[in-house]
Amino acid sequence: MLIELLTKKYPGMRLWLAQRLSAVVMAFYLLVFALMLIIKQPGDYAGWVELMSPWWWRVFTLLFFVSLVMHAWLGVRDVFKDYIFNLKLRAVMQILIDVLLVIYLYWAGVILWSI
Amino acid sequence: MKFSIYRYNPDVDKKPYMQDYELELQEGDQMLLDALIRIKQQDDTLSLRKSCREGVCGSDAMNINGKNGLACTTKLQDLEQPVVLRPMPGLPVIRDLVVDMTQFFEHYNSIKPYLINDDPLPETERLQSPEDRAKLDGLYECIMCGACTTACPSFWWNPDKFVGPSGLMAAYRFIVDSRDQAEAERLENLEDPYRLYRCHNIMNCVDVCPKKLNPNAAIAKIKDLKILRAKEKKTKKTISITSV
Repeated sequence: MLIELLTKKYPGMRLWLAQRLSAVVMAFYLLVFALMLIIKQPGDYAGWVELMSPWWWRVFTLLFFVSLVMHAWLGVRDVFKDYIFNLKLRAVMQILIDVLLVIYLYWAGVILWSI
Repeated sequence: MKFSIYRYNPDVDKKPYMQDYELELQEGDQMLLDALIRIKQQDDTLSLRKSCREGVCGSDAMNINGKNGLACTTKLQDLEQPVVLRPMPGLPVIRDLVVDMTQFFEHYNSIKPYLINDDPLPETERLQSPEDRAKLDGLYECIMCGACTTACPSFWWNPDKFVGPSGLMAAYRFIVDSRDQAEAERLENLEDPYRLYRCHNIMNCVDVCPKKLNPNAAIAKIKDLKILRAKEKKTKKTISITSV
């Protein structure tokens, strides 16, 4: 249902909705993460490894980072469109940010699966 | 009382400048507009708009000490000196404190600010229940002074594309009106990435509105309604396919 609202049929709504959905995913993850910290209380490295080890938790954490990257990409894109009027400069800045965000996402995945 | 007022006459001045005025207030001078009228008596080259002088017409909207507002409803005793007066930002200046509001009214016009109803006219008026009428409260009171729209950064950066808080609140006023039959068309009219969705909830509009209205809430309701209607449309489509 929501997927259709994210298609080109709704050019305005899809960007807005994608940003909101990514925010909901992040808020939900942070809530669960806070609960996990309270329940597990990882005090040392072994405790953190235990907390982050389950595959589903790593997938959920990666989903959080995917949402973060999507949220940031949409936000920065809007800021650039509003404030950088030189099209070439805007394109360069946007590509830099895109590359940086992809590196961050890859880095997060590497960290998560190296535990 | 000291004033610093933006002056610009494109026929004479190469660029805008700030002019200082000092004014001896007289008994009965309570509002900023009272002071401006006295300044105008001293210097009749100063241009400003005014009409009702009681916050109804919206003509004397301007930037007062950095914040948009109406001169006629702003108390002199609340203002820090020198009182810095500028035209509303984001619109072309015609002269001094007078701005060209064509763009503002073009956006207002684009949302079709009138009831669309194809039913034959009834003998008397089109009636509403008190509950339906109450839905218009907080929307219809807009005086279209432009204070909110010209305080909005999204309008500053995309004045030709973003409808602005005032126009969007007017759009919602007709969308929610039980007598109107063009809800789908009105929502579709706001679908591109700029007209509605350029609002990023900065809420300058709420901060400056001289009528204490909340355009931001109206914009949020349009966004919610768009999702709701899109989902309903999808459900209806699924049901009709299933029944076939």
